[in-house]
Parts: sequence; structure tokens; C-alpha cells
Amino acid sequence: MKQGTRIPALAKLLPFGTLAGCAGMQSALQPTGAEASDIGTLFWTVTGISVLTFLLVLAFMAGALKGSPGLRRRISDQRTIVACGIVLPVFVLSGLLTYGLLVMEAGSTRTASAEGPGITIVGKRWWWRVVYETPDGREVVSANELRLPVGRPVAIRLETEDVIHSFWAPQLGGKLDMIPGRTNVLTVEATEAGISRAQCAEYCGGAHAMMAMFVVALPPDEYDAWLAAEAQPAASPVSALAAKGEAIFAEYGCGACHTVRGSAAAGIVGPDLTHVGARHSLAAATLANDRDAFVRWIAQNQHIKPGNLMPPFDMLTPEELAALGAYLDGLE
Amino acid sequence: MKLRTVSRRSIFVGVGATLAAGILLGAAIVASGVYNVAASVEHFRVTNLVLEFALRRSVDFHSRDVVVPDGLDDPDMVRLGARHFASGCAICHEAPGGSRLPVTGGMYPPPPPLDDAAAKWEDRHLSWIVRHGLKFTGMPQWPGEGRDDEVWPLVAFLNALPDMSPADYRQAASLQPAERPGEASVDCRSCHGDASRPPVSDLVPPLHGQSEAYLLRALAEYAEDRRQSGMMEPIAAGLSSETAATLAREFAAAPRPPVRLYGEAADPSSLARGEEIARLGLRERNVAACLSCHSGTRSPHYPRLEGLSEAYIRQQLTLFRDGKRQASSHGRLMTAIAKRLEDDELADVAAFLASAEAYGGPADTSASR
Repeated sequence: MKQGTRIPALAKLLPFGTLAGCAGMQSALQPTGAEASDIGTLFWTVTGISVLTFLLVLAFMAGALKGSPGLRRRISDQRTIVACGIVLPVFVLSGLLTYGLLVMEAGSTRTASAEGPGITIVGKRWWWRVVYETPDGREVVSANELRLPVGRPVAIRLETEDVIHSFWAPQLGGKLDMIPGRTNVLTVEATEAGISRAQCAEYCGGAHAMMAMFVVALPPDEYDAWLAAEAQPAASPVSALAAKGEAIFAEYGCGACHTVRGSAAAGIVGPDLTHVGARHSLAAATLANDRDAFVRWIAQNQHIKPGNLMPPFDMLTPEELAALGAYLDGLE
Repeated sequence: MKLRTVSRRSIFVGVGATLAAGILLGAAIVASGVYNVAASVEHFRVTNLVLEFALRRSVDFHSRDVVVPDGLDDPDMVRLGARHFASGCAICHEAPGGSRLPVTGGMYPPPPPLDDAAAKWEDRHLSWIVRHGLKFTGMPQWPGEGRDDEVWPLVAFLNALPDMSPADYRQAASLQPAERPGEASVDCRSCHGDASRPPVSDLVPPLHGQSEAYLLRALAEYAEDRRQSGMMEPIAAGLSSETAATLAREFAAAPRPPVRLYGEAADPSSLARGEEIARLGLRERNVAACLSCHSGTRSPHYPRLEGLSEAYIRQQLTLFRDGKRQASSHGRLMTAIAKRLEDDELADVAAFLASAEAYGGPADTSASR
């Protein structure tokens, strides 16, 4: 994304300059997942064959316009036309269709191999509820960040509680819609550890562009340790300021919408905040994750992400906001 | 005799000259100052007839879209209207059993006694006049911007007025022995009640036991025109900050009234739906749980709801939902939540929040009426 905005204007005019805009953590051209690799190979194969076909057509045109009478006769020969105009397209297009169908099939065969616990992602306006299943069958509710184990195919159930959204993590796989009333299953397998970015790919209202999240692929043992920690209740505040923030959080009724496991806050409307401080972003990859961002978000969220469903708490004093920021930032 | 042919041109000139002379004459009369604007001199009879006709036509035309709510014969509405009349209107309009009004009686036109208002006007006319006032008569518009709902108790009172004896009126307006019919005090307790008597109407919240910070905030919002009410704004604007602080402290220190049951208990299925919203919220429509903020040891800036009537909670939720309380941060907070409630959910949640079950306390059925 960031790199994309920094391309010199001239480079944008060139086809390969445009490809440079696709570099970075949200690029389908830099796959770090098995599905995205398959799709990437399909993409480059189709692109290569298209370029070859284009060059072949150019060569025929040049021959027909400037070639010797003998060459022009051979080009206009009935057999050439049948071979290049009918037989070749039938073979090439049928081959590509088969290849494409096989790649799609590959997704479903991998679905069968995704035997471990799955993950449910629920689209909301404009954020993601992410529910992990632990090996012993418990549910761990989180939000706005997806963590995956490397080398382990995971079935992701895609649902929505309001409008149609679409989940797309370009470095991991293809996009799949979240449709009200049904569950679509996407199987992904991260092939290398690292952070990439997912984006809602179906217009879902005003702040649709701000509905994104980071996807963190971890080595399997780190992932298991992380999930075990994520399942734990929230950490107690370590500083006096954070403890004051915890009291303000309860006093102002934040728990009406948000859950912090281990406290009285058990709201089901907004994102689960039990370990919000450990995530890489706030508000579905809208803000960085630090104390300042919490303060800005709580008091001015309607300026930052207009129309989002959290009411602004601009009645809080700067001291109260600072304490809340310290508390939430400490929920790691 | 031969008739002269009159040319078209001369007709135009003649008519034009007459009109111009008329306008000049009118302007000369106005400019001379001969016309007497004194309140001590009455209109000509014909002027009165024309003005009255224009007024009736104007009120009828402009009130054509007013929707009259049900329940105008509810004694509760009549009581609130009577009490407000006694403290806000009777300063100009003679109250039943009241004495002559020496100062405002000298206005021209004099503010009429309203015994026959209900006979002369339809409900929609009355509500429109109370809401918008009348030009050049001294009748002001309702001070609460957008509070069309607040004028209906007065219409209810005006409808009941013809049949009221002075004693009925004193009782309806909860006048204390020391209060004269036309000069009710604006002592808070006379409307909001205290430990020994309930508020004058279900639409009036009890204040005793309410949080001090909340009471101060409410008074400031009324006084600074950030919360709209034709009944509360004039009162709050007249309080000094010391008086407001004292009142808030005294009311906060008094014990909260027990939750009352009003008339018949609400429909159990409505209560159950309301309880779910109040305790858990509505996830599919992003409604936060009411009691997360409005119970227990919550911020002192949030009001306590126990002891408020179903009618009051429903009215305020409707005001929030319709965007009439958005001028303050806290108002915007509630507006965001109330906008997500459907009509029936709003009614259910109001029914539950007005019930004793919401706060785990016993109901005081003795106070029901």
C-alpha cells in the first residue's frame, strides 16, 4: 500500500511500473501461502501464454503487410488459418481451462486436509470478529487480526452479521465473499512466517476502505503458544495509571459493548478487547496500536472512521483518556 | 348625446393614477404618525373582524399536518398541563379562581381567559398556537426547540378546563395552600415531588436520589440551550450557579424513591424482550446493554434510571432516537444507541427499565395510581 503511493508519476504510465504498485504486504504477486502460490503460478502462466500469443499475432501482421509474396501466400493459405485460427486456440484455451479448474480443485482437496481446529471470521461494519477454536474445542474470541500456523492448512469459516463483505488476504489465497445467512469456507495454508495484510474486498458502506487487518503467520509451535496465551483472561494492570484506566473503563460502561475476559466487561456488540494491546493495529488496521491511538480513537473515532458504530466519548477529560489508553495498551 | 369613446390608454392612465394616489395617501398617513398604536386604544370593529379572520385562517392552514396523539384525556397529562399552566401561563391568562391580572390585563389584545379555548379551537389548532405563538399578541413560541411533544399536556389541560372548578384546578395543578392560582412557584419539588409525594406526572422524573453530577449537568444543559424543554429551560436559565449546586446536592442526598408500578403491570413477553436488551444488548443491531451503564457503580455523569416511569423513559429514548438531544457529548452517546432501536423494542426496554426487576429491588405497589 505505502509503496504504491510512492511510485513516480512517470513509472505509472509503464505497464511494469504498475506492477511495482502491487508490491508489499498486500500483494497477490508475492505469495506466502500455498493457495496464493498456486494462483500466482496460474496468473504468470496465463500472462506468459497471452504475451506469446500477442507476439505471434504481431509477427503474422508484419508478415502479411511487409513480407515477400511467398510468405504472404503461406500466411493466407487455408491450412495456416485452420491450424493457427482454430486448432491452436482450442488446444491453448482448453489447456488453460483445465489448468484453472485443477487449481480451483486444489483448494477443495486442501479443505479435506484441514483437519485441525478452524477459525471463524465474522464481517461487521467495519471490522472483523475472529473466533479461534482451540485443540480441546473451546472458542477464543478475538478481533481485527488473523494469526495462522505456518505449514498447517486451516479452514476459515467466513460469515457476516450485517451486509456482504469479502475476505481477501492476497498473499495467502483468493478472495471469498461473506454472505448473510451462510457460511463460506476458505482453506489457507501459510508457507512462510511473516505479516501480510487482508482487506475487505466487497464495498460494504462508508468506511469499507478502512476494513482491513493484519495477517500474522507464525511457526506452528509459536502459534500454539500464542493461542494458549490468547485463551487466557486479560492481564491485570501493572501501573497505577492503567489501574485507574480499568476503573474508568468499568465506570463509563465500555463493557456494554466490549468484552475483557477476566473482568465484568462482557459486551457482545463491539470487538473483544481482552488482548487488544498485543495486536498490530487498532480499528481494523486504521490506526497504529499505541496509547496515543487509543486516546484518539476513544474521543474522536467518528472523525477517524466516520459512521463506525462506536459513539465518540469526547466527554472524557484528557487525564481519563490517558488512563484508559494506558490500560488498553497494557492488555497484551 | 354622443358618447365619447374612451381610449384604452386613458383607462390605464386613470387606474394607474388612482392606485398611485392611494399608495401615496397610505404612506402619508403612516408617515404622519396619526395612526395610534397605543394599547389603550381599541381597534376599529372592522379591523378586529379582519384580524380575527386572518388569524383563524392562518392557524387552520398551518396546523393542517399536526397529528393529534392519543391519550389527551389521561388525567396524568391534564395534571402536567395544569401544573405548567399555573407556573408558566397563568401569569398572563387568568387561572380558574384567580384574580384580575392588573399588568398583563392591560395588554392589547388582552391575553384571553382560556375557559372557552377548547370550544373555539380544535386540538391541532391549540397545539400549534402553544408551539408557535402568535405574532403581535405577546403570545411567545414554545421555548423548547423541536419539543412538539411537550405542548400536548397543555392541550389536554385546556380540554379539561371548561369543566374544572377552582378547587379541581388547584388539585390538578398540585397547588400548595400557600400558592395562589396564577402564581405557582417554580420550586423543583412542586413538579418533581419529594420523598413524601410522587412527581406531578409520569412524564416528570423524580430527582431525589439522582446523582449530583448528573443533576448539575442536566441543569447546565438546559440553561445553555443544549437540552431542549419548554418547561425546564426557563427555570434552569434563571438559577444562579450556587443555587443549582445547592439543589443538586440536596436532591442527590435524598433517598431514591422506590420503583413504582404504574397501573396494570406491563405485558410479560414485552418485559422479557426488554430485559434481554437491557441486560445483554442486541448484537444483531449493535444495541449496547442499557444496564452496563445505568446500574451499579457507574459514572456519576450517567443518570440513575430506577424510579423513572415507563412513559418518561420512552419519551426520552424517542427524543434521543429522533436526534433531539444531540447538542451534548452524553446526548450524542445515547443518540447513537437509541437510533438502533425499533419502535417495539424501545417500548419493551422502557417497560422493563421502569419495572422493579431491572434493579432487583421490591416494587412499591402502594404508590400506583
